Amino acid sequence: MSNKMEEGQLTPPPPQPSSVSVSKRCKKCSVQEATLDSRGAPVCRGCFVKFINTKCVKQVAILGKETSRLITPRDGGVRRYLVGLSMGGVSSTVLVQLLNENVEFQLAKGRNAPFELVFVYVDPHTSLTLQPSSELSSVVGGSIKVEERLRGFRERYPRSEFKRVPLAAALRLRTVDWSSLIPPAGANGGSGGTDEEKKLQQVFDNLPSATSRTDMIRLLTRHVLLNEAREEGCQALLLGSTTTALAELTLAETAKGRGFSLPWLINDGSFPITHHQDPIADTTADAPPTPPTPDGTTADNTTTDAPTTAPNGTTTNITTNSPTVTEDGKGVGGETSSTSMLVYHPLRDLLRKELVTYASLVSPPLTDLLLSDFSSLQSGGAVVSHKNLSIEEVMFRYFEEVEQNYPSVVANVARTTGKLLRLEEDAEKNGRCGVCSMPLDELGDERWRGEIGDPVGDEGGGGGGGGGKGRLCYGCERSIHG
Amino acid sequence: MAPILCTNCKTERALIKRPKNHKKLCRSCFLTVFEDEVHHTITSSGLFYPGEKVAIGASGGKDSTVLASVLKTLNERHNYGLDLVLLSIDEGIKGYRDDSLETVKRNAVQYDMPLKVVGYDELYGWTMDQVVETIGKKGNCTYCGVFRRQALDRGAKMLGIKHVVTGHNADDVAETILMNLLRGDLARLSRSTSIVTGDSRSEVKRSKPLKYSYEKEIVLYAHHKKLDYFSTECIYSPEAFRGSARSLIKNLEKVRPSAILDIVRSGEDMARLVPVENSSSCACKGTGRSATPVAGDDENIGGCGSQNGRSSGGEMAAMEQELKDNEAHKELEIDVANTMPATKAELKEKLLELPIRSGPRNSKAVSRQVLGTCERCGYMSSQAICQACMLLEGLNKNRPQIQI
Ligand SMILES: [Zn+2]
Ligand SMILES: [Zn+2]
Ligand SMILES: [Zn+2]
Ligand SMILES: [Zn+2]
Repeated sequence: MSNKMEEGQLTPPPPQPSSVSVSKRCKKCSVQEATLDSRGAPVCRGCFVKFINTKCVKQVAILGKETSRLITPRDGGVRRYLVGLSMGGVSSTVLVQLLNENVEFQLAKGRNAPFELVFVYVDPHTSLTLQPSSELSSVVGGSIKVEERLRGFRERYPRSEFKRVPLAAALRLRTVDWSSLIPPAGANGGSGGTDEEKKLQQVFDNLPSATSRTDMIRLLTRHVLLNEAREEGCQALLLGSTTTALAELTLAETAKGRGFSLPWLINDGSFPITHHQDPIADTTADAPPTPPTPDGTTADNTTTDAPTTAPNGTTTNITTNSPTVTEDGKGVGGETSSTSMLVYHPLRDLLRKELVTYASLVSPPLTDLLLSDFSSLQSGGAVVSHKNLSIEEVMFRYFEEVEQNYPSVVANVARTTGKLLRLEEDAEKNGRCGVCSMPLDELGDERWRGEIGDPVGDEGGGGGGGGGKGRLCYGCERSIHG
Repeated sequence: MAPILCTNCKTERALIKRPKNHKKLCRSCFLTVFEDEVHHTITSSGLFYPGEKVAIGASGGKDSTVLASVLKTLNERHNYGLDLVLLSIDEGIKGYRDDSLETVKRNAVQYDMPLKVVGYDELYGWTMDQVVETIGKKGNCTYCGVFRRQALDRGAKMLGIKHVVTGHNADDVAETILMNLLRGDLARLSRSTSIVTGDSRSEVKRSKPLKYSYEKEIVLYAHHKKLDYFSTECIYSPEAFRGSARSLIKNLEKVRPSAILDIVRSGEDMARLVPVENSSSCACKGTGRSATPVAGDDENIGGCGSQNGRSSGGEMAAMEQELKDNEAHKELEIDVANTMPATKAELKEKLLELPIRSGPRNSKAVSRQVLGTCERCGYMSSQAICQACMLLEGLNKNRPQIQI
């Protein structure tokens, strides 16, 4: 996701990589003097920049092939990509640069632009007053003028679009089952702008910890980006996650009980989108909420039911046949129709520290676009209180260290996790989580409760006891109810 | 100030804030809840059958002492009908096991359980002291580690017992999961998550009833139950990946206490996602994924008396180097394919150098999954002859002739 924590943050001044002895020649071109270290080899500036470029171009080419079947003459044969942007993060900023370079390169050769780019920053700050030391506010510092930054981007990359979308826009999305996040009492409000923000603030106030809040920002940001991609008529959503960020994500999601979702988060490919009933219209107009189904009775006997009587309320609208959305046709018979969007990570083969170097090498350097007053996450920065730290923050610090000494180990984590399989059968059998859209695993939840000896109904785990009627996966249950 | 009452019984004074979920409980409710949870684990995974003879791997440390105490309690309370035996391993390092063995002996009396101490000499024909005498101090950790891995199983076999339970707790399991993610070893990751290891081919089944118990709660249980255990810090230094994972887990637990359990859950779920074809080109394996429990060859098995030959960071650095070499090789290939007129000599050098550095490791990584049994001892092994038997062969060649 575009938001910061999987992005490296530039700590000023950009550290010059360990310079090598003056007389050495570049290992790659054998012409220029080597001034930089690239994965153990002494290289010149030009070759370093080219290396970064090549790694990204390779991924974009793969995506190009993948999207070729989605391009219709109606689009004029032009691809359109939506890119998640973070404010001041080095990864997505470098991605802006690399993708634009690619476009300029093609144009300079007299060809058509290979794709159109829309960059979207999902802004949590208009709506959220976060805890002082939470991850996000420490990154953005509250004082950063988003519009000013976006102007900087627009000036430098006039061919691309740059948009800011408030996180509160997520409240209008039916891809989130809001009934599991908003207590029924609070569900009837208008849909005015400030009301929305109040409501979102309420959602976040109800979350039990900094980790939960960071987790929820990440999830909702993804929902907003996926929706923007659809609305903007894009064929894919690109995220700036580096290999370092993907390794962090792997361990962070594991630590949050979301290990099962890794194949969707780490790999490139189509990401599921599920549509839920409008929470507001539903809670007021519909029949009283269906009581939670007792354990054991699952989707089996519900496939023919009308949407309104489906258990757990995870009814889904048959929606959107926008040309940009691929139908994956894997819905539970009659009940669910899920769509999907391609999600790609063009920087997946690059380390964060390499991007930090790169940012200082391009001319003019990207320094102005990066966030410099970024102090709390700097290495060596004292941990204020563990209570206000998020798991993402712990992982960020951890991998900062590991990346320094064992970069290949870091790269190997993402590569290995990428081998995990996507279990789509679960989604067909049990449906999807109302918040993160991942397949539910009812058997797993039941077995887990048994082995742990969790009193049933304690936290409404999997059964939807806590007022919300939506069904949640293990990770979302943990984040929302503690 | 009024005392805070136990959230469970609402009558007694709360003395304990549970590390697992921060619920405040009185002493007796804590003990009961802890035992109930282990009971749940045992019944829901059908760990035992009535009349089963079970050896408790006892080191005298907190984990195995708590395990013995809880199993005794549950066995009586719920009529499991188990025949429980304490099984201890003596590596044969003079002075090293003395205190902990004394503890286990007292436990045997306290819990009224038979105790069997099995020595390395009985199992392998060698004590660790003799090994050190023969091969010197360098590298003896390898021997101790390999021998230890099999010692409980071999000991149980000697006693005619088919089930060994160990004191591995949730922290250990979580640690192993993160460690294997860092190591990029999905096969081990999926193995390490199952509560039972060892399958039909192995004669001894192993399980960890405390798999979901927090280390901190085990300490609390031992304390409040006034158990007699040997509390000296283990002098064994964990290898780099484990050490790194361990400190990470401690930090995660501080941020969100449930993290340990959540990691265990993630690991169990991910075990289902490990692709089968990952396991080499061999077409004959035909085993399902995690459904097949396998040798817990990477379990965290406590210390041997010596730290020789272990430099912290060693394993991580070695892997870093290996990965780098592989990558350098790949890069070179691409460059050559493209344009780069890399000198032939340079290319050759790289190609030659690679198999030497990473060959043995790689081949092991592939064959790791295909599990059979050792031709000599019958212990589960990915090779025809297991590591212990290989080491023994080397040792026996060097054995001074005088011995009879
Ligand atoms: Zn060069
Ligand atoms: Zn979820
Ligand atoms: Zn009580
Ligand atoms: Zn053997």
